[in-house]
Amino acid sequence: MNNERPLICVKNLKKNFDDVMVLEDISTDIRKGEKVAVIGPSGSGKSTFLRCLNCMEDPSGGNIFFDGEDIADMKVDINKHREHIGMVFQQFNLFNNKTVLKNITLAPVYFGLKKHRAERCKNFCIAVANLFRKNKKPLIQITQTRKMIKEKANERAMELLKRIGLEEKANAYPSTLSGGQKQRIAIIRALAMNPQVILFDEPTSALDPEMVGEVLDLIRKLAEEGMTMVIVTHEMGFAREIADRVLFIDSGKICEEGSPQELFEHPKNPRLREFLSKVL
Amino acid sequence: MNWGVKWKVFWETLSGEFYRKLFFQGLINTVKIAVLGLIIGIFIGTVIAVVKVMPKYKKLPKALDKICDVYVAIFRGTPMVVQLLIAYYVLLPVLGIRGVEAINVGIAVFGMNSGAYVSEIMRSGINSVDKGQMEAGRALGLGYAVTMLKIVVPQAVKNILPTLGNEFITLIKETSVLSFITVYDLYTALGAIGSKNYDTVMPYLFMAFIYIVLVLAITFMVKGLEKLMAKSDRKKAGGVI
Repeated sequence: MNNERPLICVKNLKKNFDDVMVLEDISTDIRKGEKVAVIGPSGSGKSTFLRCLNCMEDPSGGNIFFDGEDIADMKVDINKHREHIGMVFQQFNLFNNKTVLKNITLAPVYFGLKKHRAERCKNFCIAVANLFRKNKKPLIQITQTRKMIKEKANERAMELLKRIGLEEKANAYPSTLSGGQKQRIAIIRALAMNPQVILFDEPTSALDPEMVGEVLDLIRKLAEEGMTMVIVTHEMGFAREIADRVLFIDSGKICEEGSPQELFEHPKNPRLREFLSKVL
Repeated sequence: MNWGVKWKVFWETLSGEFYRKLFFQGLINTVKIAVLGLIIGIFIGTVIAVVKVMPKYKKLPKALDKICDVYVAIFRGTPMVVQLLIAYYVLLPVLGIRGVEAINVGIAVFGMNSGAYVSEIMRSGINSVDKGQMEAGRALGLGYAVTMLKIVVPQAVKNILPTLGNEFITLIKETSVLSFITVYDLYTALGAIGSKNYDTVMPYLFMAFIYIVLVLAITFMVKGLEKLMAKSDRKKAGGVI
């Protein structure tokens, strides 16, 4: 075991929707570079678990430490942390009113400009204060102009699009794309923010069978590059292939966890055995 | 009834310099009040709608929600004429504000009144947008307001455009109550010709004609706008490279 601090540390996570208990008591660590697959029957709470990791659902109890800060605490500025946690949805959720390129660059440009604005604002304050100071404080060096930020984001987006072979779709609207294309674009949209971890919420469940392959290929490539990822999936073969660790969640608890080999070949938990016999 | 003579008399009066000016002044006022009223209405309506659909964990959204409820109840619960009369003859003197032109009061009241109606239209528009759009924006780290403004509201506006056109048409026609607070609109201008000649037949028919032309023009514009905004739809997406 390495003693490095885990990237995400979940402690006694609980979640209930009114009086329905969805997650009872979940504790697990996700280390940097680790690929975790989450499997389980439908309604077991695996999607809810994933959505709790970036507080899309606010946890009802317990802690989630991301980068050492408890994001389950309602006082934390969750947007700041979500920048570093990418998420890919079952229904793709590309922005319908934006072109593919705008979909990808929207967030990076927004945050780039926001930072730019903040720096300029700070510089203005320093300049005003300098009028009354004897030893003047130096201004912050601003190297980028607004245009450069946008161009850089566009360049990066085109680079990512080229990687998935969809650069000719840059100015198309999402409604003209196939499911597989949409999902791959959704993945690189998350990637454009340079996240530390990507959460996949059943990324292939809404796809036609022939399009599942292209999406899984992209995820596989990301995994090989060492991206940390948590994948909720029904593709057992895929989970077995890329995951370092598999969590089996049933009725709101982690019933069994371990390496794919031991989990799929020697399941100990009777529920897991039953589940595997149905899906394999 | 001699229609030819009636028309001739009416047209001669309208062509006279005084009444021609009055007519165009009225037409401009009618359009101006309706357009500016709608713009203010859309702004107020959007703000109220966003407050209405905001998740309410904290105290501030709850308080804002109550304020919006009261606002909508007041402006939907009283006729426009009453609002105009109260604003012009009660509020302004009571608050001691002088020198405000009647037309500006008209614009403000029209805007606030239409804001109450637009808020409900906008709310249904926002609810018609897939929840996943908001989630995707939030998952990228964008704030609630930013996602609302950049992603959800543009899609909502697209969905409610025909209903907003309705609201605009209503406003155009409602301007005829502005004569209550001494604003010259289309109704007052043409009505004046009727009182001058002791004959209201032609002025009123002509008034109806002008209103219809205005409304048809709006219908045409809304359709054009709809087409323009449909560019992200599958059928209309001609811009695929």
